[in-house]
Amino acid sequence: MSDAMLATAIPRSPWLHELPVSSAPGMRVPARIFADDVLWERMQQDRSIEQLLNVATLPGVEEAVYAMPDAHEGYGFPVGGVAAMRMDDGVVSPGGVGYDINCGVRLLISELSQNDLKGRLEPLVHDLSRSIPSGAYANPHLRLSTAELDRVLQEGSRYLVERGMATPDDLEHTEAAGSLGEADPLAVSSKARERGHDQLGTIGSGNHFVEVEVVEEIYDLAAAEAFGLALGRVGLLIHTGSRGLGHQVCTDHVRLMGGVMARYGIVLPDRQLACAPLRSPEGQHYLGAMSAAANFAWANRQTVTAVARQVFARVLGPTAGLRLVYDVAHNIAKLEEYGGQRLCVHRKGATRAFGPSHRDTPRAYRGIGQPVFIPGSMGTASYVLAGTDAALSASFGSACHGAGRALSRHMAKRAVTGGEVREQLEAKGIVVRCHSNAELAEEGPHAYKDVDRVVSVVHQAGLARKVARLRPVGVLKG
Amino acid sequence: MRRSVIPKTWGRMTMASCPVPEHDFGEHVGEERLIVRGATLGQVFVEAARGLRELYGELDQPTDDPSWRTIEVDAEDRAALLIEWLNELIYLAESEHWIPISFMIDAALPTRLRVHARGVRVASAPSQIKAATWHGLRFDCHDGMFEAEVILDV
Repeated sequence: MSDAMLATAIPRSPWLHELPVSSAPGMRVPARIFADDVLWERMQQDRSIEQLLNVATLPGVEEAVYAMPDAHEGYGFPVGGVAAMRMDDGVVSPGGVGYDINCGVRLLISELSQNDLKGRLEPLVHDLSRSIPSGAYANPHLRLSTAELDRVLQEGSRYLVERGMATPDDLEHTEAAGSLGEADPLAVSSKARERGHDQLGTIGSGNHFVEVEVVEEIYDLAAAEAFGLALGRVGLLIHTGSRGLGHQVCTDHVRLMGGVMARYGIVLPDRQLACAPLRSPEGQHYLGAMSAAANFAWANRQTVTAVARQVFARVLGPTAGLRLVYDVAHNIAKLEEYGGQRLCVHRKGATRAFGPSHRDTPRAYRGIGQPVFIPGSMGTASYVLAGTDAALSASFGSACHGAGRALSRHMAKRAVTGGEVREQLEAKGIVVRCHSNAELAEEGPHAYKDVDRVVSVVHQAGLARKVARLRPVGVLKG
Repeated sequence: MRRSVIPKTWGRMTMASCPVPEHDFGEHVGEERLIVRGATLGQVFVEAARGLRELYGELDQPTDDPSWRTIEVDAEDRAALLIEWLNELIYLAESEHWIPISFMIDAALPTRLRVHARGVRVASAPSQIKAATWHGLRFDCHDGMFEAEVILDV
């Protein structure tokens, strides 16, 4: 990012910087970046702002493009980027969703307090690690037939109610009830199916995890009560997505759209932003396939949930309970209404954060706001927030999705070994299971930004408000 | 840069013009930046496959003897061809747990690549690499050497 471009930035508040359309050639809307001075400075050290300006050149982009305070350089879109496209003249871009379609987070809360974990935390994490495949492992206990996979792709979590792996209450507490109606299983290629057919109920690798948490601090008592959170209560945070199936759907459609952009007269500064008009056959094909992959991801997190409930019951007793607080995506394109206008909102590493009065906020949380989860890193806090009505106009109802990476994987490994990360976590009383020391070093707390600072910006900017802070006590790393 | 020991199985390549095919990893805050160099297009594609293999890290034990297969990809130019090649290898690693260990280039043209690859099947898929991306993709030629750079989503 050049100094000349940065010189055009206008501070709109202590937490919001705006780059006008004159900042770079081809920009159709301004770029707005939520960051305090420290995070703003850090974003200037990679290509995240430049990538956001590229997004602002996409046809049919509405109002402004946004970077959340955890934003960092990605490919095409920055991670932490939000852009909404008009249905009539806008485009859909697989790069604006990313390869891990509907990567997301869900929080479950138990009936137990931290005292109930005494002497049982180690066996609990051990059993979770044996029961939930992580890394690149497939699920040996659940191989889907073609017909079963079709139903997962079409119905998402809803299909798992029939299989006894989900409850109607789970669906009520999942974004879009765990099923996007636009799903078209026929738009999912055979290659994508081959990559995903044995991966349901697995967390994968990279920054994915299952974490045992304890509620450490409460900021908003009414919201915490509505979410079922109380001080010292034990919970479970699950972070995973659509696995290889979603990756292949993205690969297939970046290729497809790259081949037709010229036909639609679309010229882009970055081929990874490959896109097609929303109403074109290619755009519709992607929406059908992406929605099917999103359904697969919700079913994946629900399957992990079903297994985790069995583990909790086995180790902690049948009254442990694990009620789903909420499940929310952070890599997705959704059709949403803003001021009577239907838009396709791309969230790449950004969480939907609808407020108390939004009709898509679950009934139980009306008047409170949709739960938003911001995982920190293995050794730092994670946060529960509540969406705000103000976020609708401030960021197309979006907030951040995590702390955001600060170090590359190579730098993270040079800074500390996996063994050292393990020792540091264990010194804090955190039980860790990870198949690879290298991955532990890559994903250690030192590789991420300060989650407290990121969440503070989200709160101060009014995108979501702080409800509770969680402390990890057990980590199963992907 | 990591220098490869050139295997005998590269029989059809022009070794005289190929002293140092090599690959390395550049910095990227979220993903992996793979940089490859070679004197021929074929060397670049093979070296890219070696870089991918290095990212997979330690593999499970092979489940059977090495086997040969022919991999063929097409694209509109050599940069796009590199993406297609890597994405095909990623797909084979994840869906069949098949990892190539040596290569014989049959045809390496700017828009078409045909490779006979010898590989092993391992018990479980290697650590996940999601895809080769187009962002920042380049495939240059300077002074008779090709250099390509591609960002892998990990």
